[in-house]
Amino acid sequence: MRFFCVAAALATASAFTTSPAAFTTISPSVGERSVNNVFADNSAHRTRKATIVMDGKANAIRDRITSVKNTRKITMAMKLVAAAKVRRAQDAVLATRPFSETLQSVFGGLIERLGGEAAELPLLTQRDVKKVTIVVITGDRGLCGGYNSFMIKKAEKRYNELKAAGVDADMVLIGKKGITYFQRRKFPIRKTFETGQNPDSKQALAISEELLNTFLSGETDAVELLYTKFVSLIASTPSIRTLVPFSASEISQKGDEVFQLTSGNGDFEVERKELDVAEPQEFPNDMIFEQDPLQIVNSILPLYLNGQILRTLQESVASELAARMQSMQSASDNAGSLAKDLSMQYNRARQAAVTQEILEIVSGAQALE
Amino acid sequence: MMQSTLLRRIAPTLTRRALSSNAAEASSVMTLNFNLPHETIYNGATVSQVIVPGAAGEYGVTADHVPVVAQLKAGVLQIMHESAGEPEKYFVPGGFSITHDNSVTDISCPEAVKVDDIDPAAVSSNFEAARNAYTAAEAGSAAQAEAMVDMEVYRSMGSAVGINLS
Repeated sequence: MRFFCVAAALATASAFTTSPAAFTTISPSVGERSVNNVFADNSAHRTRKATIVMDGKANAIRDRITSVKNTRKITMAMKLVAAAKVRRAQDAVLATRPFSETLQSVFGGLIERLGGEAAELPLLTQRDVKKVTIVVITGDRGLCGGYNSFMIKKAEKRYNELKAAGVDADMVLIGKKGITYFQRRKFPIRKTFETGQNPDSKQALAISEELLNTFLSGETDAVELLYTKFVSLIASTPSIRTLVPFSASEISQKGDEVFQLTSGNGDFEVERKELDVAEPQEFPNDMIFEQDPLQIVNSILPLYLNGQILRTLQESVASELAARMQSMQSASDNAGSLAKDLSMQYNRARQAAVTQEILEIVSGAQALE
Repeated sequence: MMQSTLLRRIAPTLTRRALSSNAAEASSVMTLNFNLPHETIYNGATVSQVIVPGAAGEYGVTADHVPVVAQLKAGVLQIMHESAGEPEKYFVPGGFSITHDNSVTDISCPEAVKVDDIDPAAVSSNFEAARNAYTAAEAGSAAQAEAMVDMEVYRSMGSAVGINLS
């Protein structure tokens, strides 16, 4: 008898140490096991203290229900915190617009003026590609669903593709999750950075400096950036773009996209908006160029790279937050349904115990007659 | 071109009127847009004058200035507001400035910090570190070039806060 109770208690204790993943499976009921044990042995009368619901002492199922409900509160709070941070990320994206627009328009105007001359700039010329640097943006923390694993898979696939095509490849990693994964598997890593929750200009500057140095010194022939595009709360697409060398037409003609977190149907939603390309700057005839237009273009390109990196960092952080919102929502839903199941078990056990007592009393009374 | 630039600096009023293509309206204020990658410091602000640290030399921009596009070097950007008083000073490491022919100036810099917020002690110690790196690096290496650039920037930062570094 004792043994069964102890075993039941041990099973309960191990069920207490749950991780969020555990919420996706309903563990075979501990409570049921205790109840069944009590009945199966026909010894309920003798072991009164095994009546699991009627005594005022600590009760296994009741404790579990409380713990599950508390966990649900925590996961709901994490979801709302992530939503607030997405708002912040979206404001940060909008704050980068004026700078990028001015850049795009001046660049467009200068390119028109220069025509073919600009194609000779090192940052604009396509080289023979023998070595590629892959920049991978992942997150620093977990609990964000498939965000990090999708990105890592895509990065590994791209790396293997390049290797199979005979191109030498190495990596620049941003974000702890990517760093631990690739370091453990001994991939060639050029440099690592941390993402942080709030990407700022300083980080972007450090990264773009590293990439420019690598490209201009000839250590790499192309730089590709892998980041997660923030499409909607449910969908996020890992995307690849070639960052360096730039394409003059892409800089001056590619419109920008911004996202906005709104509420629709009582829940969060994301709207994605395409913005128009900034008009190429018209330079009046008496415009004085303090430096040669070519030199000015050359000085604009690093600023453009900086802006692009900052934008993709912000977008990746927003995707990570959206993924976290989704996974916390699922965790809360699972916790809710688990709490409901446990409550039902608790009530059933309680009612069964009451019925049992009544039966005993009635049969005892009958025996006396 | 160089001569006319010099002339422009020495006798701004005369040459400005002669060269300006929009001599019709003479407004006394100009519009300034000052953008950084992560924030906008001024958007459409009306100011009376801006002194820009161009790579070829500092120059001042007032209303009705001839259109100019210039690369900036590490230096101090001074903004004189309409209400006369001390000019607002920002230290910028570079960027570019474009003045349109309608008295609107767009200045874009990767970073900008108010000169008041610069700590002179930090500037001196960083300058020393850069100088040590310069002497320790082998001649003609990338490290030496980086240290040289660092020294230049800290030197101009020092002169912005009033300390003389060399």
